[in-house]
Amino acid sequence: MATVEERVKAVTARVLKLDADEIKPEHSFTVDLGAESVQSVELVAMFEEEFGVEMDEDAALSVETVGKAVEYIAEVCKQQGVDVEQ
Amino acid sequence: MEKAKKQHPLADAREPNLLEDIYPYSLPPLIRFERPAVEYIDGEAVEFDFAAVKDRDILITDTTFRDGQQARPPYTVEQMVYIYDLMSRLGGPNGVLRQTEFFLYTKNDRETLDRCRALGHKYPECTGWIRAVKGDFRLVKEAGLKETGILTSCSDYHIFHKLKFRSRAECMDRYCEIVEAAFEAGVRPRCHLEDVTRADIEGFVLPFIDRLMEMSSQVPEELSAKIRLCDTMGFGISYPGAELPRSIPKLIYKLNRECGVPSDRLEWHGHNDFHKVHANGGTAWLYGCDAVNTTVFGFGERTGNPPLEGAIFEYIALKGDLCGIDTMAITDLADYMRSIGLPIPDNYPFVGKAFNTTRAGIHADGLRRDEQIYNIFDTEKLLGRPPRVAITDKSGTDGLVHWVNEFFGLKADDRINKIKMHKLARWVIDQYDEHGRLTAISDQELEAKVKELLPEYWQKYKES
Repeated sequence: MATVEERVKAVTARVLKLDADEIKPEHSFTVDLGAESVQSVELVAMFEEEFGVEMDEDAALSVETVGKAVEYIAEVCKQQGVDVEQ
Repeated sequence: MEKAKKQHPLADAREPNLLEDIYPYSLPPLIRFERPAVEYIDGEAVEFDFAAVKDRDILITDTTFRDGQQARPPYTVEQMVYIYDLMSRLGGPNGVLRQTEFFLYTKNDRETLDRCRALGHKYPECTGWIRAVKGDFRLVKEAGLKETGILTSCSDYHIFHKLKFRSRAECMDRYCEIVEAAFEAGVRPRCHLEDVTRADIEGFVLPFIDRLMEMSSQVPEELSAKIRLCDTMGFGISYPGAELPRSIPKLIYKLNRECGVPSDRLEWHGHNDFHKVHANGGTAWLYGCDAVNTTVFGFGERTGNPPLEGAIFEYIALKGDLCGIDTMAITDLADYMRSIGLPIPDNYPFVGKAFNTTRAGIHADGLRRDEQIYNIFDTEKLLGRPPRVAITDKSGTDGLVHWVNEFFGLKADDRINKIKMHKLARWVIDQYDEHGRLTAISDQELEAKVKELLPEYWQKYKES
């Protein structure tokens, strides 16, 4: 089973039309990866779908980097009883 | 650089001060005054106590069927009766909208008047409007009206070039004969000082007013002449320090305090040629003129008159109370006017289709967080018009969230968040980025897309 980080990178690559191998944990979704407003919303929606969780809108949209998204999603999965590979 | 005169320390706070004593939201923003205003007149400092307006019997009069009708094809009798009925509801039982005036010349004019009066409303009272011709008082008497407006134009443009009098004295004598005829007929004359902001105030207007006051002192109070100050070309100026004849403060002072015309016999009639019409009407109220003459949505000769609905909100703001006014009638009036073909621009205050519609995403985000951030007052409560967002590529997902939740009528915790709307947001963006769209997305288009892309919500809120 892929790790949270691998799955986050895969979703990010799909939504932003990037190569997953080029995405780094320190990358900012907006500044480095070029996510526009609507794409930020799409990213959160796709993360919810990928991990089968519901996220708080404001908290999810305030996450700035890929690494922070991995941490945030892992925490949400834990709170909502969803098993994931760390 | 000039040294600052005063330092201003920050008043730090952890709780917002929303100034709710001025912006109560359930009412339009209140207009409050700190102290009297001062105007220098003939070298003397004269005080005007604006705060006293709260206790004065200021009121609104209407000329929708007279000046308002001069700007458009005639209304039908049915249309006028319907509008009159709505105006009565708007002004309420206290007569904030006190009077409206009618032509009396045609069969239709007289039938309209009869049918409006047959509705049995106390307000607005029906008054007439006739030329400065003695014979016309027969029409007023036959109509059973107690008051009529008569033309008493007072600038030399009118006296010499329009009416062709040989002298001001001849003109004044003629006007006074007409006023005398009104008294004899038992009809209260309302002298319309046409073009007063272009007249010789000291040389003609004040002597004429002096004579009217003298004549009025000889008749019962209910017949005494009223004075309508007609800013026929919209030249009136509200600024302190402006000169006569354009200064509204000075004009009103001269008539009110020098000639002794009581405030309840003074009325301001403006025109909007210089975009000053509403502010000038409010100025007239503050400086001592009790009545401001308006038309529905400002429709009137050329650029129009003070808009009735603007005066209504000004009145509430000055009084700090609805005073029996039914503001919802404004929306009904707008709907009716549109239905009979009168255009109301989308950005027109209070009733335009987009008057409280935001297109900017950043404003929509404010509306989503708290509608008071970008709404002038509780427009849903007072006008039946909640704030809206028009959707374009600039609206952002926040705009879309606001639109969808308003469409479903969802508030607080029931609101659908933007994450759930990502497909709809993508569709909107693609309309512009992929398809090169240049127009706003209509409500009908969005409704169809909501049904397609948010089917579970559609089913829950629209089909249940």
